Amino acid sequence: MPEENIYEDLSLVCRRANTVFWVISALIFLALSYYWKIQIVDHKKFSGLAEANRTRQRALAAPRGLIRDRKGEILADNGASFKVSLIRENIKDMEASLAAVGRLLEIDVETLRSRVEQYKDLQQFEPIVIEDGLSSVDVAPIESRRLEFPELVVDVEPQRFYPKGALAAHVLGYLQERTPEEIRAEPDRAARAGEMVGKTGVEREYDNILKGEDGKIIEVVDSLGRVRAEKARQNPVQGGDVVLTLDYRLQAMAEEALEGREGVVVALDPRSGEILALASFPTFDPNRFITRFTPTEWLQLTNDPLSPLENRAIRGLYAPGSIFKLVMSLGGLGFGYVTPDTSVYCSGSTKIYGAVRHCWFAPGHGSMNLTDAIKNSCNIYFYTLGRRMGIDMIAMAAGRLGLGKKTGVDLAGEKEGLVPSSEWKTRTLKTPWYPGETISVAIGQGQLQVTPLQIAALTALVANRGSRARPHLFKSAPAGVKAGPADDDGAGAAAAAEPPFKPSAFESVIAGMWRSVNDGGTGKGAFVEGMDVCGKTGSTQLVSRESAERLSRAGREIKAHSWFSGFAPRDNPRIVVTVLVEYGGGGGATAAPVARRIFELFNKEIQGK
Amino acid sequence: MMIDRRLIQEVDWVLLGLVLLHSLIGVFFIYSSSHFLAGDYYVRQLVWIGASLIALVLVLVIDYKFFVSLSLYFYGLTVALLAATLVFARFIAGTKSWITLGLMQFQPSEMAKIVMILVFARLFAEYKSAYLTTQHTLFALLLSGAPLILIILQPDLGTAMTFLAIIGGAFILAGLRRKAIFFFLLAALVLGIGAWSVGLKDYQKKRLTTLVNPFHDPRGSGYQVIQSKIAIGAGGLSGKGFMKGSQSQLRFLPARHTDFIFSVIGEEAGFLGVLAVIVLYFFMLARMFLSVAKARDRAGVYIIFTASLLIAFQFLVNILMIIGLFPVVGITLPFISYGGSSLLTSYIACGLVLNVKMRRFANV
Repeated sequence: MPEENIYEDLSLVCRRANTVFWVISALIFLALSYYWKIQIVDHKKFSGLAEANRTRQRALAAPRGLIRDRKGEILADNGASFKVSLIRENIKDMEASLAAVGRLLEIDVETLRSRVEQYKDLQQFEPIVIEDGLSSVDVAPIESRRLEFPELVVDVEPQRFYPKGALAAHVLGYLQERTPEEIRAEPDRAARAGEMVGKTGVEREYDNILKGEDGKIIEVVDSLGRVRAEKARQNPVQGGDVVLTLDYRLQAMAEEALEGREGVVVALDPRSGEILALASFPTFDPNRFITRFTPTEWLQLTNDPLSPLENRAIRGLYAPGSIFKLVMSLGGLGFGYVTPDTSVYCSGSTKIYGAVRHCWFAPGHGSMNLTDAIKNSCNIYFYTLGRRMGIDMIAMAAGRLGLGKKTGVDLAGEKEGLVPSSEWKTRTLKTPWYPGETISVAIGQGQLQVTPLQIAALTALVANRGSRARPHLFKSAPAGVKAGPADDDGAGAAAAAEPPFKPSAFESVIAGMWRSVNDGGTGKGAFVEGMDVCGKTGSTQLVSRESAERLSRAGREIKAHSWFSGFAPRDNPRIVVTVLVEYGGGGGATAAPVARRIFELFNKEIQGK
Repeated sequence: MMIDRRLIQEVDWVLLGLVLLHSLIGVFFIYSSSHFLAGDYYVRQLVWIGASLIALVLVLVIDYKFFVSLSLYFYGLTVALLAATLVFARFIAGTKSWITLGLMQFQPSEMAKIVMILVFARLFAEYKSAYLTTQHTLFALLLSGAPLILIILQPDLGTAMTFLAIIGGAFILAGLRRKAIFFFLLAALVLGIGAWSVGLKDYQKKRLTTLVNPFHDPRGSGYQVIQSKIAIGAGGLSGKGFMKGSQSQLRFLPARHTDFIFSVIGEEAGFLGVLAVIVLYFFMLARMFLSVAKARDRAGVYIIFTASLLIAFQFLVNILMIIGLFPVVGITLPFISYGGSSLLTSYIACGLVLNVKMRRFANV
C-alpha cells in the first residue's frame, strides 16, 4: 500500500459527511414530532376512525304487536320467514354442491347456477340468497342436515301473518315497505331496509304501538366486510298488542252474509260506539302484501273496477234512500213540523211543484200517521214533510244527526259525504236551490251522499234516544302505551252531552222502526223472534223513475242499492247493524235478511255470554 | 483468503448487533401483520436474514479495494442487466423491475445501488481538491445518468429517488459550488415540470396530489395513507398491543408487512414503540455515518457515506411516506420491512461499511 494514503487529509469530506448525517437526523426527529401529533394529540380522532372502520351495525327486525279481537282471538300474528343462503367459501366442489342443494331444495340446478352467477362479484364469504319467504316446514330438511351442507345458512326474520286470511282485511289494513319518501319524511326514525309499515286500517292507525323497537348488532368486520366477531347486541322489542272492539264471529258472519255481493255490513254497540263487525266486499288477503305480489297481481288488484282495496264502510258514498226518512221524521218532530199524529193521505202518487211524484207502492198506502209512514216507508208522506220543512231545515236536522261530517272512527281516509243545502248549492254550483230538488232529498235521493258507517252511527244515535257514541275499533293496548283514539274535541263532547232532539221524537221514530220489522212493514226481513229488532230499509234509485221504467220495459233490470239499518232490542239496545248491498234491489228483500243473520247470531251466541 | 484474527477484532460488533436487532423487530411485526396469511412470511424473512448475513460475511472477507477496482466492470454488467430487464421482464405490479433467472427473481435496480456506491468511490477516490470541477461533474453525471434513466423507464420511482439521493450525496461530499447547486436545482425544476407533463404515469401523479390531500381520492391512492394514519393515530401512546391492532389484523392497512410495516409498529406498539425504533435507528445510522472518521482513505469515506446514506434516505422517506408527509413511492424500511431484495441490499451496504471500518489500518 502506498505510504501517502495513510496520511491523506480526509477531514473536509468527513466534515461534509457529518453535516449530511446531522441534517438527516434532524429530519428524522422532525418526523418524530409529527408522530407525536398523530399519536398523542389527535389520538381520539384516529381512534374513532379505526373503530368506525372495524365495526358495522346491523338492524334486527322487531316483531309487530299482535292484533286481537275483543275475545282475544288473534287477527294479526307473527310468523317466521326463513331465508336460505349459500356461502361459496364453504364449498369444495361447486358443481357437486349445486346439484345436492338443488335436490335438497327442489330447485332446478340451472336456476341455482344463474342465481350464483348473478352475484359472482360478491366476496366469497358473503351469503347469496337463494330462496326466501320459506316456512319452518320448508327449511326443516336443511336444518336437520346442517353438517352435510356447511355452505347453506338459514336466517329467520319475523313476518306479519294474518291467520284468518281476508277476515276483517279492511279493518286490519295492510303493510308495505316504507318508501324512500316516507323515510325522508321521518328523519328521526331509524330506517331498516325492507321495513314494513302499516299503510291502511288499524295497522296504520296504531303503527306506533304495533311496530316495536328494532334491535341491533354491532359486528367487528375486516377490510373486506367479513364478520369477525359480535361486539354488542341489543335485542328487538316486540310491538304492543292491540285489542280491537271487533268480535271475530260477528265479523265472519258479516262477511259470510254478504254472500259475495259488493256491499258493507257494520255492526256496533250503540252504547259505546264499539264496532263489532265491519265488512266490506270485495276484499283482499293482507298476507299477500307480506309475501309480495307479482306485478300482474298488483295491477289486477289496483285496476280492479270493483276496488277491493277500498273500505266501502268509510269511503263508499251512497245516497241513503229511504233510510233518510229517519232524519226527516226526527227533524219534522223535533222542529215541530209534524206531530206523531199528523196524517197524510197516500194515493200512490201526488203532484208537487207541478210534477207528478209517485210512491213506491203504486196502489197507495191510504191515510197514515208518522209511525205508519216509517213502517211502510211511504214516499208521499215525506214529500209532504219535505215541502213543509224546506231544504235548509232538512240539512240542519241531518247535520245534527251527524251526516255530512266524519264519524271520527279510528281509520284513516274516512269520507264526509254530503248534505246539500241552499247555501251549499249557491256556493259550489253557483245556482239557486229549486224547491223541486227538496222533494228528492226528502226521500234520501238527489245530491245526498252518506257512508255506511255514518248510517250506522245515525242508527246508534236513534237507538240511544239521542246520545252520541263515536264509532271506534280500538279497545285496549298494554299498560304504559300511550295510544287509543283521540278524544272528541270540545264541541263534539258538548254535542254528545245534549241530545239533538227531544226524547219523545226518538220514541216515535223508534216505534215506526219497530213496526217496520215486527208489524209487517218493509223491514220484516230482519225479524228475529224475541229480539225486538227495530229497523229501516232503503233502496236508492240509481236512475230516475222514468228511465228505470223505460229500461225495465226494454227488458233490462236496473237494481237499486239496497239498505237496511236497525238495532235491537228496542229497549236498552245492544247492537246496531247496518247493511248496504250494491245493486241489491229493494232494501227489504236483500239487505234486511243479511242484517237478520247478524242479529240472530248476536242473540244466540253472544248476548248471553 | 483467510481473515486475520485481528481483523475480526476490528469488526464493529455493536453496529452488526443493531442491524440484527432491527431485523428481529422486523420479524416480530411481520409475524403480527401476516400470521393470518398463508406463506409464513416471518419464516421466509428469517431465511432471508440468514442469507443476507452470509452475503455480509462474504463482503467482509474481501478487501473493499478489490471491489472498488472492479467497480467499472460491475457497472457495465449492471447497465446491461437493467437494459435487459426493460426488454425482457414482464410487468409485475405495473413495473418492469424484476428479472427471472430460473427459480430466482431479483431486481437489477437493487444491485445498481450497491454498484453506484463502488463506482463513486472509484471515481472520487483520487479527487483531492475541495470542489468538483465542471468536467468531473459532467462525467459523474453521465456515468450515473445511464442506470438512473433505465430505472426511471421501468418505471420504479422509489428506486430512482434512492438512486438520486446517492448521486446527490456523493456530489455533496465531493464538493459542489453554489453555482452548481443552483444549476442542479434549476435543472431539477425544469425536469420535474417536464416529467409531470409527459413522463409521469397517472398513478404517480395521483400519489403526488394525494400527498397534498389524501381524502381527494380516499378509495384509490389516498386509501393507503388514510388507513396508515388511522392505524398510527389509533395506536396512541402505548399502542394496542402486539397482534391486537385492528387496522393491521383486520387488513385495513395496505402492504402491512412490506412498505407499511412501521404503521403496524405505530398501531401496536404506540408512540413509545415508534420512539424506540427511531432512537435505535438513529444510533445505528450514527454508528454508520460517523465511521467515516475511521476510514483509511478517500474511497473508504465515500463507501461509508453513500452506503449509510442509502439506508438513512430510505428510512427517512419511509417514515414520512406512511404518515402522508411524502408521496407513496414504494420505498421499504431497511432491515425491518419484509423482502429479500431489500434485505440483501441493506446488509451488503452495511457489510461495505464494516469492511472499510475494519481495514482502517493500512499495514494489513
